[in-house]
Amino acid sequence: MQFKDLPIQKKLLRIVFLINGTVLLVTCVTFFLYEYYIFRKSIVEKLSTIGKIISANSSAALAFDSPDDAKEILSAIKTEPDIVAAYLYDKDGTLFAQYNAGSEKPIFPAELEARGYRFVHSRLEGFEPVMQDNRQLGTLYLKSHLGALYNRLRLYGLIVATVLMLSFVLTYVLVRILKNGISAPILSLAKTALIVSEKQDYSIRAVKMGKDELGSLTDAFNHMLDQIQEQNQSLKEFTQTLEQKVSERTRQLESVNKELEGFSYSVSHDLRAPLRAIIGFTAILEEDYTSKLDEEAMRITTVIKNNSAKMGQLIDDLLAFSRISRQDIAKTQINMTSIVNEVKDDLATQYDISKIQWAIQPLPTITANTNLIRQVWVNLISNAVKYSSKKDDPYIEIGSFLKDKQTAFFVRDNGVGFDQKYSDKLFKVFQRLHKTEDYEGTGIGLALVEKIVARQGGDVWADAEPGKGACFYFSLPV
Amino acid sequence: MSLVKNISCSLVRPYFKKLPLVRFIITILLLVTNFPVVAMKQPAQEYQLKAVFLFNFTQFVDWPPSSFDTDQSPVVIGVLGDNPFGSYLDEIVSGESIKGHPVVVRYYKNVEDVQGCHILFVALTEITNRKKAIETLKGKDILTVSDAVHFAAEGGMITFFIANNKIKFQINLESARASKMVFSSKLLRLAEIYKPG
Repeated sequence: MQFKDLPIQKKLLRIVFLINGTVLLVTCVTFFLYEYYIFRKSIVEKLSTIGKIISANSSAALAFDSPDDAKEILSAIKTEPDIVAAYLYDKDGTLFAQYNAGSEKPIFPAELEARGYRFVHSRLEGFEPVMQDNRQLGTLYLKSHLGALYNRLRLYGLIVATVLMLSFVLTYVLVRILKNGISAPILSLAKTALIVSEKQDYSIRAVKMGKDELGSLTDAFNHMLDQIQEQNQSLKEFTQTLEQKVSERTRQLESVNKELEGFSYSVSHDLRAPLRAIIGFTAILEEDYTSKLDEEAMRITTVIKNNSAKMGQLIDDLLAFSRISRQDIAKTQINMTSIVNEVKDDLATQYDISKIQWAIQPLPTITANTNLIRQVWVNLISNAVKYSSKKDDPYIEIGSFLKDKQTAFFVRDNGVGFDQKYSDKLFKVFQRLHKTEDYEGTGIGLALVEKIVARQGGDVWADAEPGKGACFYFSLPV
Repeated sequence: MSLVKNISCSLVRPYFKKLPLVRFIITILLLVTNFPVVAMKQPAQEYQLKAVFLFNFTQFVDWPPSSFDTDQSPVVIGVLGDNPFGSYLDEIVSGESIKGHPVVVRYYKNVEDVQGCHILFVALTEITNRKKAIETLKGKDILTVSDAVHFAAEGGMITFFIANNKIKFQINLESARASKMVFSSKLLRLAEIYKPG
């Protein structure tokens, strides 16, 4: 587990241990080295002092040729157990007297030197001249083992180890006690945050444990919860009001819509009766009064008849349009390819489609209301036939593709097209981009398409270029 | 040991530098044999050692400043009576000095001649002469030394004697303390202290 992933308590413990250990170690090592240096120096000084005393005392023994006396002087060294050997040489370098401690085998120096001490193979050895009145009478050689030094260093090592261990134990205990000051507020805060996010209960508050940064953090956290709670409350209220308003408006809209539909239905329906009378009586005029009417009257009668028929068509369309919202839209599986072919064949009875070059791709099966979808195809394909009828080589392409989880169908022609900027007007009732004289129609067809597709949960749109043709799309849920 | 070797050096000095082999043989002989016995067998060598001791006394005895005329005045080692040292004493002290004072040797026939002397080896065989000398020199800060057996009893300060084939010396502390000379404790440590009676 990496350090950054450790719990805060362990992090704290490790940091404190690391700092504590480093500081103690540096301190102890420094003391250890200092003590080692000082002690080495002090044992050199001690040996040198002993050497000076012994050599000063043994000058007479050398001067008056008394090795026994010299030996006696040297034997005083036995009170210093660290000194293992002392050899007294006369001024010609001949051994005059010697002292060897206990079991120590005498090892004589290879050659005598002037005054000086040095550490050799864990031994301290040195030479001290025996002087009397600035006259050198001989040389004293001393050898000391470093048992005391090693004992002392061992003791120091033991002390250092004990201190380190004790301080680690103490540190551990102290951290266990003191950590509550730091980690406990953090843990409590984290726990509170967890509960809040799990239960989505913003009424819970973290307990503040002190006035330090963690206290401020707790305050800020609680303040944040206050705000969230407040905002939640106002959001809730707002949503409630909104829902109320929406349902109110919906109710209003529905009733208005119903009224409107009822109105338009009754209007259309009621319009048909006088229209039927006009058409009927115009037919009577045409058939029964041919001989009595002059040519001009006949022409006017024909105009009345045609306009009445057009009006009938208009009323039919309007009725169909208003009926869509009233109809149930029972959905079935529809084979789009066969519907398109049927529609195409039907149109052949109304229009001359012999010139048209068709490109009908295989279309998928969808689930929708057959009658309504047929109406959509009728309107779109008849539009394509109408608006490309003045071309020399009319071309109509029908296909489909997947778009935003819906199946989009299109009918493309190479007819007159229209300006793209009017495309949003296309699907509104009675909006026409071309004159009725050029292209017949009531202006309801595309509005009908839009309404049907919208009821089925789909979408309609178009793109075109004047003179180059248009493409109408509608999408339906798969 | 070194003293003996010194003496052997001075004895055979002319050959030493030329004949390392001779020096080597003598050194070996001195080392492997019980040399003091060798030394004692030849009376002359006994005096070589005594001469060295006389010189060494100068290092362990402090004379009062009044006993020197100047800082450069010599430390005088005198021999009263028949000189038993031959030229050894002269050879030993030649070129030596103690605390800036050159060391010289003087030979006296009569005690009346003794002037400005610091150490005096009394080589008088007649006890009366010795007593007279001691009496004359009393209070003069002269370290009197002799190898006469009863010299200490007679009031002399240091007496050489031989024990275990080694030259030792006896000090009459009473006489020594009567003078203004200061004897090194190291010297006293080595010496046998004379106890009257």
